[in-house]
Amino acid sequence: MMIREGLSNRILLWAITIAGLIVIYAPPLYLLAVSFNPALQPGLPRLSDLSVTWYAALPNDRALVGALQQSLMIATITAVLATGMSLMAALAYFELRAQRTAWFLTVILPMFVPGVIQGLALSAVFTRSGIKASSLTVIAGHLLWAMPFAFIVILTSFAAVRRSYLTAAADLGATWWRQFVDITLPLIRPGLISAFIFSFLLSLNEFTRAFYLAGRQNTLPVVLFGKMNSGASPVIYAMSGAIFLVSVACVALASLHFMLRRN
Amino acid sequence: MTGSRLPISSALMTPPLLSILAFGLAPLTIVVVWSFWSWDPSTYWIKPDLSLAGYAGILEAGRWTVIVSTLVKAFATALLCLLIAYPTAYAVHFLAGRRLSIILLALITIPFFTSYLIRSFSWRLVLGRTGVLNSWLQDIGIINAPLDWLLFSNFAVVVGLVASYLPFATFPLLLSMRRVDPTFLAAAQDLGAGFWKSLTSILLPLTMSGIFAGFLFVFVMVVGSSTEVQMLGGAGASIVSVMINDVMRVANYPLAFAISTIVLIVIFGLVLIGNRMFGLASLFEDQSP
Amino acid sequence: MIVTKQSRPFSPRAHSNMQRRDFLKLMGAGGIALSAGGLGFASRLAAQDAATIAFWATATLDIGDKWPEFAKQSGVTPEFTDNGNDLGPVIARLAAGNANDLFDIGGFQGGAEKELARQGVIIPWDTAKIPNYESLWQWAKDIPYLKNDGKQYGIPAVVNADSIIYRPDKLGKIDSYGAIFDPKLKGRVAMEDAWINSAIFTAMYLKESENQPIADPGNLSESELGLVMEFLIKHKSDGQFRTFWNGWEQGVQLVADQEVDAMTGWEPIVYEGRKRGLQVEYAAPVEGYEGWGNNMVLLKGAGDRGVSDTAHKFVDGLLGGFYGCELGQARGYLVPTDNNVVYAKAHPDEYKPEEVEKLAEHVKAKFAGKIYWQNARPDNFQLYEEWWQKLRNA
Repeated sequence: MMIREGLSNRILLWAITIAGLIVIYAPPLYLLAVSFNPALQPGLPRLSDLSVTWYAALPNDRALVGALQQSLMIATITAVLATGMSLMAALAYFELRAQRTAWFLTVILPMFVPGVIQGLALSAVFTRSGIKASSLTVIAGHLLWAMPFAFIVILTSFAAVRRSYLTAAADLGATWWRQFVDITLPLIRPGLISAFIFSFLLSLNEFTRAFYLAGRQNTLPVVLFGKMNSGASPVIYAMSGAIFLVSVACVALASLHFMLRRN
Repeated sequence: MTGSRLPISSALMTPPLLSILAFGLAPLTIVVVWSFWSWDPSTYWIKPDLSLAGYAGILEAGRWTVIVSTLVKAFATALLCLLIAYPTAYAVHFLAGRRLSIILLALITIPFFTSYLIRSFSWRLVLGRTGVLNSWLQDIGIINAPLDWLLFSNFAVVVGLVASYLPFATFPLLLSMRRVDPTFLAAAQDLGAGFWKSLTSILLPLTMSGIFAGFLFVFVMVVGSSTEVQMLGGAGASIVSVMINDVMRVANYPLAFAISTIVLIVIFGLVLIGNRMFGLASLFEDQSP
Repeated sequence: MIVTKQSRPFSPRAHSNMQRRDFLKLMGAGGIALSAGGLGFASRLAAQDAATIAFWATATLDIGDKWPEFAKQSGVTPEFTDNGNDLGPVIARLAAGNANDLFDIGGFQGGAEKELARQGVIIPWDTAKIPNYESLWQWAKDIPYLKNDGKQYGIPAVVNADSIIYRPDKLGKIDSYGAIFDPKLKGRVAMEDAWINSAIFTAMYLKESENQPIADPGNLSESELGLVMEFLIKHKSDGQFRTFWNGWEQGVQLVADQEVDAMTGWEPIVYEGRKRGLQVEYAAPVEGYEGWGNNMVLLKGAGDRGVSDTAHKFVDGLLGGFYGCELGQARGYLVPTDNNVVYAKAHPDEYKPEEVEKLAEHVKAKFAGKIYWQNARPDNFQLYEEWWQKLRNA
């Protein structure tokens, strides 16, 4: 496009991209195949053996289904909160001058605390302040875990907002709020979407903090961990396979929506 | 900056700051304070007697080597992820057309909806002695006997870590490439700069914030990880989170908290140094007028 | 929608609302969205009003869709939560975390009862309120760590004795832990990634087969521990072990995918392997077995909430026979009481009495021989951990 890469460089770039995709797809695709294998032993099924035995058993596994619902709920709320709070933090970052660095470091600090420790210490804080564990406490832990990531993602996307746009708008009499809604928000939308997806995935897959902070209803990673530790049936692979297929469908629909909208 | 702006920034800062204080700083304070308390054998809990035993414990039994090797693993994984993610982000942003770029983005996101626990486990099935990779290599005749080092080795751990955390590098890079003004690149081309010259002298500096963010994301994820090492590493393989769990298993809380404090200080120190050297915090500021 | 998922008919209690209010204050702006989950939480507390009990245990003890039948027979409905089967985090959650706010009964690896009692996070059982307690086999009642200061803190719900899982097609018959340390099997054996099991197995081998001066393999002195761990470190450095394993699925996979030919581990892995069509055996080592128990402990929170009697009734139900039959059939684990056989004989259409009896006799036979008890808290337990680090980093 803007750069003439040359054929060999293009081939190199695509080769690395494809290699990366193979590395991230090997495990989930292998699992997907395993989940259609009726045998107890996880392995690649023969084509003639393909079966949905484990998928059929999935709705009956109340522990898994309950944990999945809990995780989706927690991940959604965490993602909404983390995106909103990070947006505020990012806007504040640009409003600040001298204390910018201090603010930046303050917001990203929580991401460096090991999960085991943050989980245990936060649950100690909650217990001592008389706050009972529930989905709320997990969300509190996940919020702090996801926020630094969302914050940096949103900051990165702020580059699209040129200071000159805002100054021009201000000269025309736009309030801070109008500048934000009419100029900033449309420009940083990709960053907000990425921050939301990031936070959602971070919360959905988070194990350690959830273990310490959860109430009686565990999240999916905690239940999966327990099942793998003490006698699982291949239903857990069907669960992963189902999540994979549903996310393929969701992401495909969203992509289609993007493609059609602008064409 | 006019005086009227100040209330806005305070209003914006309040909610994130409050949650950081309540859910971040409060537990962090507890961790640091408790790391200086002593273990109480009569209750198996801690008592408020000032002690440095936790910190002294880090120097014993090679615990500090685990901290070092964790940082090395995190560094290596982050670097590898950048090496794969940068070309990927480049391909998505510069090479692919609109449709293809959307499809690629979708492809990069999808695997991460499934549990990393199950994904790590499936590497055991792929890389094992009777796994897919060894079977293929034997089928096509490259090797005669299965390669043992594919699994339960540092190789397997790094593969597992890269596969787990790659998109944490890809997305920030992509966002940072989006902000690069195409006219810069066009100008460089007009001046006769080749691909590598444009890449190193224009694109890399302009995407430094994405490189930093991607590196930091992967680094932090690896430092907090334990599953990949436990499932894919060799006999007794360790990483900071595994070590902290070991220590908590024997109720040695001051040591567990001391390890956490040190890890926190080391990583935060690295970030501060990075900040001094590269002005990390200002990487995100607007670079064009 | 989120709320209805967890809702049950209830009248919210004043104190839970209070806490929610405090919490919301703390949360500031995020509070509104978060309160959705908080309502669900209030309803969960209220669910305890019926004869339900919050049972926090290793997934091994979960009988899933058989709980309703259990509830019908015992009059107590357990609300089961998996505790992850790792004693360390479980203890941490009891000592510093929220476990006592949430759960009534804990079920996990025995050995830490003494310290939990000292911390005051568990309270003693009144065996008089557990009629079926008397049916427990004597040696199960005698498990050393169940009592502290003369009070009963643990009730054994599941016991078994562990040794070596191996492939007879490759190794022939194995009857000693020596196989695990045999240089001929270099890179083809594994042990568990936990000193709690691996140190005792090694100590049993050194004591019984190499005549090393070791008094009690389950409770090593400083010098004995050094001897045992140096021995392990040497073999680890030589590349003897393919890996150290954690948890069921990893253990099964190691055997099933021929990563190892022999490893120390749990007997149900053998049953699972056979179900998957593998030829696997469980060794009866000359050095003996490692005995272990999963015990029920009564959390202090249960006493505070006044559900202690329900908790006793629940544990009585566990020992009543039905639970034992189900656990044995599903996993091959044994509840140490004759009530299982009695129940199976009374309900031959549900469980095969001869199989229930066979399992009981099998486990009894193991315990009739040489047994060393697993010990989560040997006297020098923190030293064990230090040595385990040295092993990891060797």
